[in-house]
Amino acid sequence: MTLLQQFILPRLLQWVIVIVVGITITFLIPRLSPVNPIQQALARLTQFQALEPEAVLQLKEQLMANYGLEGSIVEQYFRFWGNLLGGDLGPSFGAFPQRVNDMIGRALPFTVALLTFTTIMGWIIGIIVGTLAAYYPGRLTNLVAGVMIVVYPVPYFIIAFIFLMVFTYYIPFFPLIGVFRGEPFEAEFIATYLHSTFLPAVTLLITGLSFRFIMARALGTAELSSDHVQYATMAGLPDNRLMYSYVARNTMLPQVTDLGLSMGAIFSGTLITEAVFGYPGLGDLLLQAIYQADYNVVMGITLLSIVGIATASLIVDLSYPLVDPRVRYR
Amino acid sequence: MFGIVGLFTNIRDLMKFSGAFRWGFIVLVFVFLMAGLSWFSPYEEDHRRDTPRGKPPLTEISIGRDDDGERIYARTLLGTTSQGQDVFWQLTFAVRNTFLIAGTAVFIGRSIAILLGMLTGYMGGVFDRVLSTIIDSLIVLPRLPLLILIAAILRGDITTLGLGVLLGIMDWAHPSKRYRAQVLSLREREFTHTAVFSGMNPVKVVVREHMPFLVPFLLADVVSGFLWAIGMEVTLAYLGLGQISVPTIGSLLYWGNYYNALLLNQTWVLIPAIAAAVFTVAGFYMLSQGITHYLDPRTRLTRLGVSDS
Amino acid sequence: MFRKLILVAIALMVLVPALNVTAQPSGLPVDVPREELFVMDQIFRWSVIDNYNVWGPASGTPHRHALMFETLWYLDQETGNIMSGASNEPPVYNDDYTQMTVTLVDSLKWSDGEAFNADDLVYTVETVWNTPELSFGGWHAQFADFLESVEKVDDHTVTFTLNRPAPRFHKNFEARWAGLYMMPEHAFSQIEDLVNYTYQDGPYLGLYAPVEMDPNGFWNLFKKRDDPQNTAVCQYHMNEDCGPGYVLTILYGDSTKKVIAMTRGELDAFMNVDFEAFESLLASTPTAKSWYPEFPWAYPNETSSRLIRFNFDTHEWTNNKDVRWALALSLDIVQLQTEYIGGVAKVVYVNVPYTPKLAELYYNHPRMQEWVENLEIDVAGEPYKPYDGTVADRIGEWADEQGYAQPAETAAASYGSGWWKYDTDTAAKLLEHNGYTRDGNGDWFTPEGERFSFSIQAAPDEVDSFRVANAAADMWNDFGIDVELQGLERSVWSANFETGQFETDAPWLSFVLPDGDGWPQMRSYHSKYYVPAPELHNALGGGTPARLVDPVLDELIDAMESLHPQDPQNLELVHQYLQHWVENMYYISTVSFKKFVTWNELYWTNPPSAENDVYMPLYWFQGGRFSIGGLESLGG
Repeated sequence: MTLLQQFILPRLLQWVIVIVVGITITFLIPRLSPVNPIQQALARLTQFQALEPEAVLQLKEQLMANYGLEGSIVEQYFRFWGNLLGGDLGPSFGAFPQRVNDMIGRALPFTVALLTFTTIMGWIIGIIVGTLAAYYPGRLTNLVAGVMIVVYPVPYFIIAFIFLMVFTYYIPFFPLIGVFRGEPFEAEFIATYLHSTFLPAVTLLITGLSFRFIMARALGTAELSSDHVQYATMAGLPDNRLMYSYVARNTMLPQVTDLGLSMGAIFSGTLITEAVFGYPGLGDLLLQAIYQADYNVVMGITLLSIVGIATASLIVDLSYPLVDPRVRYR
Repeated sequence: MFGIVGLFTNIRDLMKFSGAFRWGFIVLVFVFLMAGLSWFSPYEEDHRRDTPRGKPPLTEISIGRDDDGERIYARTLLGTTSQGQDVFWQLTFAVRNTFLIAGTAVFIGRSIAILLGMLTGYMGGVFDRVLSTIIDSLIVLPRLPLLILIAAILRGDITTLGLGVLLGIMDWAHPSKRYRAQVLSLREREFTHTAVFSGMNPVKVVVREHMPFLVPFLLADVVSGFLWAIGMEVTLAYLGLGQISVPTIGSLLYWGNYYNALLLNQTWVLIPAIAAAVFTVAGFYMLSQGITHYLDPRTRLTRLGVSDS
Repeated sequence: MFRKLILVAIALMVLVPALNVTAQPSGLPVDVPREELFVMDQIFRWSVIDNYNVWGPASGTPHRHALMFETLWYLDQETGNIMSGASNEPPVYNDDYTQMTVTLVDSLKWSDGEAFNADDLVYTVETVWNTPELSFGGWHAQFADFLESVEKVDDHTVTFTLNRPAPRFHKNFEARWAGLYMMPEHAFSQIEDLVNYTYQDGPYLGLYAPVEMDPNGFWNLFKKRDDPQNTAVCQYHMNEDCGPGYVLTILYGDSTKKVIAMTRGELDAFMNVDFEAFESLLASTPTAKSWYPEFPWAYPNETSSRLIRFNFDTHEWTNNKDVRWALALSLDIVQLQTEYIGGVAKVVYVNVPYTPKLAELYYNHPRMQEWVENLEIDVAGEPYKPYDGTVADRIGEWADEQGYAQPAETAAASYGSGWWKYDTDTAAKLLEHNGYTRDGNGDWFTPEGERFSFSIQAAPDEVDSFRVANAAADMWNDFGIDVELQGLERSVWSANFETGQFETDAPWLSFVLPDGDGWPQMRSYHSKYYVPAPELHNALGGGTPARLVDPVLDELIDAMESLHPQDPQNLELVHQYLQHWVENMYYISTVSFKKFVTWNELYWTNPPSAENDVYMPLYWFQGGRFSIGGLESLGG
């Protein structure tokens, strides 16, 4: 009971505050952008046309009404909360009259599937290999570390671009854009999905992996030198047990925090991956929305991200004691 | 801990002690030398058309005329870009500017992060809760879109130093949470309790007992902060939102890509910039490895007999 | 335990690609035999999915409008001629231009077999006129502004009555980019909510019908109608079964990816790539071809041109004509056109592209020729002739030096008009006359004693404009002015010019349409639309980012309004407008548009080209339908 009152309830309250503040900031910032969504739409709708000036003005009014941009920013803000609580993110400006809900619904599965796989795989492999490298320093681990160290700082888009050139141009085996045939979960869809997803996944895995490796190795090295591991070694505990029970376990806390946050962050997508590999997902949607000042789409995707990260952070905090029993709730 | 004079002794000790440190140190000196060379460049930083365009490394190129109007020829070390710039000298500027951006970002970001991480971690209670709520509200905002938005709002008016400050301000919330987690974990360990029960001053506990654990983490974190800043600089440049007329690692890659360097096999435009990023980060990493190892209590114990630093 | 995990991970990484072997390595998303399929660059990614309502707010046009829809006439950018669509006769106006009569073709059918007739046109006009939500193209607003009534005379004749003289009313149905698209009266009259109708099932009047669309917007597949003989395109080609069986529009991404796709045989035509990417394509894909088989390769006649624009509103120094002329005279156009653009675009001294038709109407018109050759500007009290007629020849010499095979035409036809002399001494005189001073390093200072410096903004993805800005910045810096080149993301750049946040920038425009008419494009410069920055430049509907106010231009614009586009008096007024413009050097015009619109003749042949220059190759314009319909199969 005291646990609930003293720890869980305040933490839940914090979760709510964080989300409300985050959403409010996201509501305001895009409106500071110099890009005017009405002007963008006007340019798109009347491309190459020589219009009557009166017609231009009339069209502008029409667009304002369509986009729900009438009224002061305060009115818009409250209208926005009203719609949001009703589960409606409004129409997209750039892709009017499509609903933001539908657009996100189409893009979300691709991003979530890709990033869940690469994040978790990168995390697991990175931690295992990194911890092993910390525990068994030697020629082989130095070599692995060397490779990771070189790969790690290479800007992601260069890695992506090299993979693209090699596997679509010199060895034209993978498709140039994400090509998906058949209905979801049919054999043809799965085959084309894997075919199209391979390069994006591998490149993301490589960068994620090298980061985790380095992190795990640094933490492992520090842990190895701690007093209780020293005592345990002197007490003659077997190596495997030592590594698993002490080194790996004690370094888990920051790693779990990080995984939690990374998992929450997957909703903001992989902008560069999608641009380079022509892969559908939230990243490209968000980028175009920012460029076109498509407030509702920016809001929709950021909202997912905000709720995702806030919830991940909540779960991490609540589960600290499960991972590291020495942390007491306070 | 380290006196100012002692710093050099320590570096010397470290060089002797750790191969990683030695290599990292050499690499970084080399990188700094590159950056320093930029002040001796025969070309202006943002000047184009100084050389013939798109020539491979070691080609003989005309670099202007002497007083009699005769062409002067020289070999270009790393080739020239499609904009008519010498890759080597552009690289010196790029290393300097990227260093400035990333260094500023890391300094600002980590200062805030360590301060807040320690404060929230050690103080706990209401203070922790309020501050953590604020930090969390900022953490939930996705950073790259926010950066893109801010870069768009600034509309090309952003300076090199300004970008560094902006990146720094964007990169403290995540690490501060990591520091907090680290501190929470340390605080609950037996030796902390032992130290506290034995009446040790809390500041001393932090400095003596916790720092050796926090420093390796800090170093690894600084390296990752450096990388993040370089990565963001490159990403913004890739999206055309950086200050692309100023040479940075990002803008070199941007222009290489803009002129289709990979398709035309003009790899000499891209490789030096990538190498610079790799060397910089790898250098810092090895340095941090060396220091971590040096601070390792086990090795410290063995050293204690011979030196009293 | 760990070892097992690693093994599983490695196994997964090996297995995934192995699984792929079962998938077809082709990067095409559809199962259509390649010999029946024409694949073309979609240029952008669709964000609205499965919605073919081209009148409503969801509308997006490229390709789609050339494939599926029909309007009355098409303005061809190569020849400047009108090509017929649903009407093959010019519109007939009454004497005071208050009535327009249109005769429709009687041989067109909708894809469901129903005949196209006057009812469809009347229905279309009335529906768009009465529905403000059908806002695409601004046709609703145009009708609301001008139209009194629209009546069917007989099955193939329709009369429009206008509320005031409007000699250009027919432009609503004459596509350069788009024209009002015909609606099927027999089908649409059954639909209640036309604004939200997605029009996925036809019937269509064009040659193609959509069959499948990527839910992610990367591609769209179209199938040819079963009765191609009933479409305007096949009737134009006098071929009962013209055009490929299927058309796939697909977006691969940037220049690099388009080039890779073409070398892989997965793309038959693209709109444009960078010069460097095109060079590498020529080296790797011998079947790829743009407009000319040899240098300068690219299609040079799209109706637009590149320029450097001043912001007359917020930066006082731009209001000095002498300073603007000094900037023009300190640019070396030959170097700009060769070194920065690769020699692949025609030089123009005013913002009229150098297409065959427009060169005849403007650059080579005796009145204009005489004027430009004798043009004098005042340089510190002395008259000075700035025109240099040797530019095209000098570019030709440069091309010889590069070892390029020259095109058969004269230098002027390939490299455009003359330009202004590269004369930095005169430019210096002009600046000094206006109180500017120069220090020992050759650096310029303003009359107020500050360093003469300004910025030039451009969007790097608009390649030629960006390179023009690049060249100008380089050359002006050499001249001693401190010019900063700002490369901005496109939407940021446009937000800047809309709100007057720039000193100079590098946009593009043409003062005239492909048929030579100037009023529709020039009218925005009327001072009655002027609003001060930072208000939006089009806050009053018209207006331009330069925010120019000039009563002489106002008078000319007013005089053009009531004249028919083909009236000789109209041409004279357009000439006067251009002359006044150039004398004041309001914009520094540089080169015409060029596009590396490229066809890979691997599966399909007979695209428009310099040897086959009957119409434009710009397939993404609505009139581009003819280039798709004229393709012939190579049998795969």
